[in-house]
Amino acid sequence: MSQPLITAELLRRLEQLQLLARRRSKSTVRGERRSKARGQSVEFADHRNYVSGDDLRYLDWNLYGRLDKLFLKLYEEERELPVTIFLDCSESMAFGEPNKFHFARQLAAAIGYVALCGFDRVSVRTFPDNPAESAYRQSLLSVRGRKSSLQYFRNLAHLTAKGTADFNGALRRGALEARTTGVAVVLSDFLDPQGYEAGLTSLIGRGFQVNAVQILSPEEISPTNFGDLRLIDAETGAQTEVTFGRYRLEQYQQMVENFRQKLREYCAGRGISIFTASSADSLEQLLLKQLREAEVWG
Amino acid sequence: MNFLAPFAFLFAATLPVVIVFYMLKRRRTVRLVSSTILWQKFLAETQANAPFQKLRNNWLLLLQLLLLALAVFALARPYFAATTQEPGLVVVILDGSASMQARDESPTRFEAARKEALKLVDGLKDTDQMIVVLSAGNTVVRQSPTAEKTTLRRALEECQPGDTPTRVEEAFKLAQTLSKNRSNVEVHFFSDGAIPAAENLTAIKLPVVYHQFGKRANNAGITAMDVRPHPEDPSQRVVFASVFNASTNAQTVSAELRFNGQFIDSKVLNLPAREAASTVFAAEQKQSGTYTLKLKADDDLAVDNEVSIISKMPRPVKVLLVSVGNRFMESAIRVLPNVEVSTASQLTAGGKGYDIVVLDRVTPVTQPEVNTLAWNIGNTNWFESWRTVENPVVVDWNANHPLMRFVTFDNVRVYQTLGVKAPKWGLVLVEAQQTPLLIAGEKGRQRLVWVGFDSLESEWPLRNSFIIFMANSMDWLNPQQTDASQFTLQAGTAFRQPLFATVDSATVTLPKGDKKEVKLGEQAKEFIWGETYRVGSYKVNHGTNEMAFTVNLMDPAESDITPRSQVPVGAAGSVTATNSIRANLEYWRWFVMAALGVLLFEWWYYHRRTV
Repeated sequence: MSQPLITAELLRRLEQLQLLARRRSKSTVRGERRSKARGQSVEFADHRNYVSGDDLRYLDWNLYGRLDKLFLKLYEEERELPVTIFLDCSESMAFGEPNKFHFARQLAAAIGYVALCGFDRVSVRTFPDNPAESAYRQSLLSVRGRKSSLQYFRNLAHLTAKGTADFNGALRRGALEARTTGVAVVLSDFLDPQGYEAGLTSLIGRGFQVNAVQILSPEEISPTNFGDLRLIDAETGAQTEVTFGRYRLEQYQQMVENFRQKLREYCAGRGISIFTASSADSLEQLLLKQLREAEVWG
Repeated sequence: MNFLAPFAFLFAATLPVVIVFYMLKRRRTVRLVSSTILWQKFLAETQANAPFQKLRNNWLLLLQLLLLALAVFALARPYFAATTQEPGLVVVILDGSASMQARDESPTRFEAARKEALKLVDGLKDTDQMIVVLSAGNTVVRQSPTAEKTTLRRALEECQPGDTPTRVEEAFKLAQTLSKNRSNVEVHFFSDGAIPAAENLTAIKLPVVYHQFGKRANNAGITAMDVRPHPEDPSQRVVFASVFNASTNAQTVSAELRFNGQFIDSKVLNLPAREAASTVFAAEQKQSGTYTLKLKADDDLAVDNEVSIISKMPRPVKVLLVSVGNRFMESAIRVLPNVEVSTASQLTAGGKGYDIVVLDRVTPVTQPEVNTLAWNIGNTNWFESWRTVENPVVVDWNANHPLMRFVTFDNVRVYQTLGVKAPKWGLVLVEAQQTPLLIAGEKGRQRLVWVGFDSLESEWPLRNSFIIFMANSMDWLNPQQTDASQFTLQAGTAFRQPLFATVDSATVTLPKGDKKEVKLGEQAKEFIWGETYRVGSYKVNHGTNEMAFTVNLMDPAESDITPRSQVPVGAAGSVTATNSIRANLEYWRWFVMAALGVLLFEWWYYHRRTV
């Protein structure tokens, strides 16, 4: 690993943040998030009638004094918030200068770190599969506790972008496999020939609070290769012949913007927070300003 | 349907080129990208690489081919044979005389005239025909009637002015002849108007449009020059010259005389406006050579600023008088200047070594080989038969022949003469009722003068005309005529020189140094050179002989370059200059060219690769 994914300074600032969940946690594991479940905590939730066998420690003696009836005090159970990060490790992510995949890993590290600091469980789901990295990928599937953050970063750093991804399939499988839903963060370039709609829909349908970041490289936003080109898709090997000159650059950029706008509209219509970023963008700007303003965390 | 320019179909070769352009594939650079999804909008256009591709249905290609085919078709100038009005005939007469070389028009009057004539070609209707006639030293039809504008333009471009006087009469007569049986004829005369009035010109019945060139008359030119022996000192020569000032302002010019390039004298001449001034130079001459008079004048016409005249030293004429004794005749010859006379009783060796043989009643055994004056000689070579005629009465004589100049037979009586039939070789100069008395002519290369009677049996020796006749005979028979005038010609006049021996070929060196070979052969009795359109010195070499002659303008009418707004042509006696030219200028070619340009631009624009 040539350079740390996240600087110490950024880590320090991230520590102050906490992921915001719009819904109460449905996790069964205790944590620090409010949940609908009743259990042991300091947060009073409700009263109920005493039934035989209840723990006498939770009787509301003040109420008994006033009403002469036995009521049991109920407290909110605090559960953990499962944070699932869908990290696109396809070949297309390996492009760009700065590298798109590196940028995605940095984001995954930052989001994961914020979650770990908030005693939430972080699960990084990478796609497509890469048997060579299965050990790292397995250990990333469930990370908990701040202490694990260092190992989490290391595992992330060992990941590489390779192979052809099935974006929709990966997300659908992730949605099905999740025991409890929570916050889902999708880090991808969303450049899948099959589209991205089905995958995102399956996450929403499963009940995830979905945040998505589309990462494109500067080269993809504003190409510098001109002339008569035969373009080969790194993932699919598909060939496309184009005659591209500066006079068509504006047209191209408009087309990229349309593509992004379409993604934004799709996400907005389904309550997905979508962020479009260039791999050359400032990480701090995205993390501390854009995500915060969008109330991904606070 | 026919085509005026079928060669334009060669342009159809560009049609396959367009198709090939469409078949050509582009060489593309291979680039690995993260994803081609973003490039979907930039999917390759219909054409591609490696060098050919299959032609696809392409409206653009079809339109381009259609446009190109139409353009080629238009360039081929298709036409239908149909009945129409009689096509017009335009006769262009270009004045190529010396005055058209004046530089008051830019660059010269002739070039300006040519430019205007070319405009006339441009304005010619498709069915109209044109004739190009150049009237320089002689009149030449440079282009017979044609409607082919390219041919007409080429004919006009090839026209060159000469240093000769104007001779437009022939041109107009030619125009009249060429336009016979045609009703729609127009003669365009491009000139400065310096042409003499002539009856033939006023007889021209054609409509003449006169295009006048020339702006001013800034010229001084030598209009006459002659070299003669000094009347008082035979060793000296006197050079007369006359210089004309065509300008309306008086001017001063200097005249410089050189002999064989050596400076002799220089004089300053004050020339009054529109008048001529004469000057005389005296020079000692010890050998034959060329006198050159040069004017130093800053004028518009250079041709008349220099005149060269060949002056030869007179050589004595050797005359052999073969006679049994004739005091009259011997005296008549001896009194002639520059003649050396020898007498003999018999002719030997055919008179070799002498210039002239005079046979007086002595019939030679061998024929004389040199020019001969024969008196009372019957000769089988000259006549088929002869008889004696008593008391012939002179009825007529030819006074125009050089031999008969100032010779009269009014009071000459002849006792008896030889009666002959007029031979083919000779011209009868004096005729009696029964027989010719005097015959002159050329037999082979030999000049012969034959007199039928014995001079002593007539009254002629007692008359003055006898001495004059003898003098004329010696001049005419002298093979080395010293008359310089035949070596000094006016531009456009043919140079003629009798040949005394068989000459196969001769080489003429022109004033600019170019050489031209002339084939002569055995039959040639005379060397004639007609291409004297440029002033200067010419040299003729045949065998070891060398001759020189000079060609000068020396024409007051040409030196007077005053532009005339009227020319004495046509029944009305004059035609006024016009400035307008009927011009139906065609521009369709430019539009076709523009269409082709647009086609090419369209192709480029469609395929441009701004990299």
